[in-house]
Amino acid sequence: MSEGTAAHLEHFQDLERQAHAARLGIWVFLASELLLFAGLFALYGAYRVHYPEAFGWGVDHNVRVLGTLNTAILICSSYAVATSVHMLRKGRAKLAAGLLGFTLACGATFLVIKGFEYAAHFREGVFPGGHGAFFHGKPEGLKVFYTLYFLMTGLHGIHVIVGMGILAWLLSRILRGQLAVPHTHPLDIGAVYWHLIDVVWIFLWPIFYLTPGAL
Amino acid sequence: MKSISQRTTFLTLLALLGLTLGSFALSYVHLGRWSIPVALGIAALKATLVITIFMELAVEKLTVKLSLVAGFVFVFLLVGLMAADVATRAAAPLLPHPPS
Repeated sequence: MSEGTAAHLEHFQDLERQAHAARLGIWVFLASELLLFAGLFALYGAYRVHYPEAFGWGVDHNVRVLGTLNTAILICSSYAVATSVHMLRKGRAKLAAGLLGFTLACGATFLVIKGFEYAAHFREGVFPGGHGAFFHGKPEGLKVFYTLYFLMTGLHGIHVIVGMGILAWLLSRILRGQLAVPHTHPLDIGAVYWHLIDVVWIFLWPIFYLTPGAL
Repeated sequence: MKSISQRTTFLTLLALLGLTLGSFALSYVHLGRWSIPVALGIAALKATLVITIFMELAVEKLTVKLSLVAGFVFVFLLVGLMAADVATRAAAPLLPHPPS
């Protein structure tokens, strides 16, 4: 089947327009996700102005190396999924599937590292909402810092899990031969969602790991 | 749809990893009040690379680009008005007390 005569849904004129509509749809969704996370980032900014010392102390208390490692892992996973899209378009389905598998492994590694970090927090007595023995005698702002930390990294973690589910489903479709040239645009959509997860973490990393001190 | 070359994608990976390493190293330098603007500036540069190259926004049609512009307009409204509120507050509002 050639590009021009490829089967498309009947309410589209051709496959190119169908693919464009799908990409436009995911970008509009991403714009709404942008607002969801921007609200939380704005909240962080407002509280950081209000409790500068406690927030600086909280950032210093997080393990910078683990946050940095997770940043590198997500960037490599983003590269893998972008290359997977290129490979599928070139008809190299097996390589595209392998790269998606690598991306899923990166996502799982990210979650395991985050899990170890959460476990260390819980052992210390740091829980969301300012609960736990850790906060006794500590400044009030630290409760706000860790509540925002769990909320923002937790919401991001849920996105990672959903993204992995979408990529696993796309991987199974590639392996069954259902995603191949010219019907490759569903992978574009999954890849764009995965990159959004990367972009959100790119901003979470500096505000929770890299900027200690009271400014 | 046009496509970004694989070479450009690979160079973007190298740039992103380089910026990550740079930002990590800078976090150990005492930059005082500049630490957050510098860290967020590098993050914005990295996000721009991911969005334009990995997400292929650079070769997307105008309608797709406009959807992102619309998102940013609302973000600026949201964050701008919130920042104006925080910056001009005389004192922090009182915490709500439950009725006794």
